[in-house]
Amino acid sequence: MVVLTAQTAAVNTFQALVMGLVFAALGLGFNIVYRVSKSINLAHPTLVLLAAYTALVVSTRLGAGMAVAVAAAAAVGAAAGAALEVLIARPLRGRPPIALIAATLGAYYVFKALAKMIAGDMWTTASLPLPTFTARFGPVVVDASDLLALGLAGGLVAAVAALHRYTRLGVAMRAVAEDPYGAAAYGLPVRMLTMLSWAIAGAAGGVAAVALAAKTGVEPSLEVYVIEALAASLLAGLDSIAGIVLGGLVLGLVYQYSNFLLGTILPGFGEAAAFTLMLFVLLVKPYGIFGTERIERV
Amino acid sequence: MPAGVFKERYAELMAHLRYPIHWAGLALGVAVLALLPLAGAYSVSLAADAAVFLIAAIGLNITTGLAGQISLAQGALMGVGAYAVAKTVEALAAGGHSVAGMALLLIPAAGLAAAAVGLLLALPSFRLKGYYLAMASLAAQVLLVYIFKTIIDPQQGITMPDEAKTVADIYFGDGYPMYYLVIAITAVMALAAANIGRSSVGRAMKAVRDNDVSASIVGIDVARTKALAFALGAFYAGIAGALYALTNNSVAWDAFELATSIDLLAMVLVGGAGRIIWGSLLGVLLLRVVWSNLDAPLSSLGFINLVGGVDAVKYLVFGLLVAYFVVKEPEGLIGVLRRVKEYLRLWPFSY
Repeated sequence: MVVLTAQTAAVNTFQALVMGLVFAALGLGFNIVYRVSKSINLAHPTLVLLAAYTALVVSTRLGAGMAVAVAAAAAVGAAAGAALEVLIARPLRGRPPIALIAATLGAYYVFKALAKMIAGDMWTTASLPLPTFTARFGPVVVDASDLLALGLAGGLVAAVAALHRYTRLGVAMRAVAEDPYGAAAYGLPVRMLTMLSWAIAGAAGGVAAVALAAKTGVEPSLEVYVIEALAASLLAGLDSIAGIVLGGLVLGLVYQYSNFLLGTILPGFGEAAAFTLMLFVLLVKPYGIFGTERIERV
Repeated sequence: MPAGVFKERYAELMAHLRYPIHWAGLALGVAVLALLPLAGAYSVSLAADAAVFLIAAIGLNITTGLAGQISLAQGALMGVGAYAVAKTVEALAAGGHSVAGMALLLIPAAGLAAAAVGLLLALPSFRLKGYYLAMASLAAQVLLVYIFKTIIDPQQGITMPDEAKTVADIYFGDGYPMYYLVIAITAVMALAAANIGRSSVGRAMKAVRDNDVSASIVGIDVARTKALAFALGAFYAGIAGALYALTNNSVAWDAFELATSIDLLAMVLVGGAGRIIWGSLLGVLLLRVVWSNLDAPLSSLGFINLVGGVDAVKYLVFGLLVAYFVVKEPEGLIGVLRRVKEYLRLWPFSY
C-alpha cells in the first residue's frame, strides 16, 4: 500500500505541476485551432509525435543543441499546421463537424507515417540528449528534464497568451475568432490569419512536444498524452487561452495522484483517470470553466 | 413514352429488388458467396473477417451515417459483444456447467449487452453534439479498453473451448459451417438495417441528422431517436463482436482499441455515410479486404526498403485516402460509382 507523507506529497505535487504545465502546452494547440475554426484538430496528437521525432533526429543524428532542436520541432509543427489549414480546414468550411473530424483523422495517419519515416530505426523508445544536472529542494529532486519541461511549457503558454492579449496580431486573431465576417468587413485578412492561427497551433505543438519528450522520452505512444491533454482543453473551455493553465494543472494533479495512489493496484490508472475527467467535464460542464456557451438557432 | 420498366403499384416501387438487374445481381451475389469456399481456406477466413466488420460498419453507419451521431467507440462496443460471449462461456465452464454450443446461443445476448452499453454512450448525446460528442465517445472508447485490459481480461486473451462452438456435432469455429453461418447472419442483419433506414424510425434519424432543432420542432422525440440510434449501432457492434469471438481462436483486447474504431469510421466515410448497406460494404471491401492483403505486394514492390517500411507507406496512403474522400468526395465511393453509372448510362452520347 502506498502511503502519502509530506515527503511523497511534495515530490508528487512537483511532478504534477510539471506534467500539468506540459498538458497545458499540449492542449494549447487544440484551443488555438478551436477559436478560429470552431473545430477540433484530431491530427494534433501525431503532429506532436512528428515534432518530437524531428527534435530527436536533429539533436542526436545531426548533433545540434537543444535550442536548435526546439526551433526545428516548432518549424515542422508550424508547417504541418499551416498545411492542415490550407488543404483540409479551408475546403471544409461550412461542412458538418464529422467532415473535419474524419479529415483530420486522415491527417493523423499521414503525420504518423511521416514521423515513422523520419525516425527510421529510432522509432522505438529513445531519449533526448539532456545534460545531467540535479538540484535538491528538500525532498524534491529537480533534474534537467524537469527544468526543460517547465521552461518550455510555461514559456510557451505565457508567450501565446501574451501574443493574443497584447500584440496587434493577437487582437486581429481574436477578432477573426470572435466574428470572421465582421473582421473581414474591417479589412482584416481573415484567411491569412486563420492559416497563421493553425500554424501557431502547430508550432505550439512542436514546442510542447520537446517539453513532453524531455519528461517521457520519445516513443510512439507520445500521442496518448496529447489525447489526454484534450481533458485540460475541455476543462478550461475550448476557446480560452490562458485558462488552459488551470485545466492543465487539474489534469496534472489528477493524473499524478491517481497513478501514485492506485497505480500499483491498477496499472496505468492515470490514463483512465484523465479520460474519466474528460467524460465528467463533458457531461457536467461541456463548455468548460472559461469557455463561452454556444446558442443555436434554426 | 420512353422505354423502360414501369411500376403499377407502390409496393413494387418500394421493393428492395425493383429491376431485373437487381435480381440478376442477387443471383450473382448468392452464387459467388456460395461457391467462394472452393477458392480455399484463406478466402473463407478473409470473407468471414470481412462479414464481421461489415456488421460493425453497418451499425456505425446507422449511428453516424443515418442519425449523424459521431461515435469513436464502435471498436470497444465490438469488444463488449466479444467479451460478453467469451467471459460467460469461461464462467460457465469454471462453474462446471456444460458449455456446448454456448458461443452460438449467446450471440443475441452479446448484441443486447452491447446495446445496453450503447445506451449509456447515448447519454452524452442528449447534451452534446458534433466535436463534443466525438470527444465523449473517444473517452468512452479508451475507458472501455482500460476496463477490458485491467479487469475483464488481464491475461490478454480468452480462448473458448471447442465444444462451445459445436452444435449437433458440427464445429462452427472454422471452415464451411462457420462461413455459411456468418454469411447468413450478415445477410439477415443487412436486410434488417436496410429496412430500418426506410422505416419511420429511420426517417426520424435522418431528420435528427440534418437538423436536430428542426426535428424537435416537427415533433420528433430527439433524445429517444438518438438513444435508439446508439443502441441499434451498438447492437450491431455486439453481434459483430460475438461473431469475432466465434471465428477467432481467442479474444484479446488489442483487437478493440481506438485504432479499430477509427478504421470502422473510415470504412463508413470512405464507403459512403448514410448509404447503410452499399456504403458500408464498399468501405469494408477497400479498407479491410484489400488493405489486409497489401503487405506482400507492397514488400515485393520494394517498399520494404523505404524508410519506415511497409507500415509507414500504408499509414500514409490510408490517411491520404480518408482525407481525400472527405474533402473531395463527401458521398464516398458510392457517390463515385453513381457518377460512373450515370456516365455509362448515356455512353457514348453524353447528352
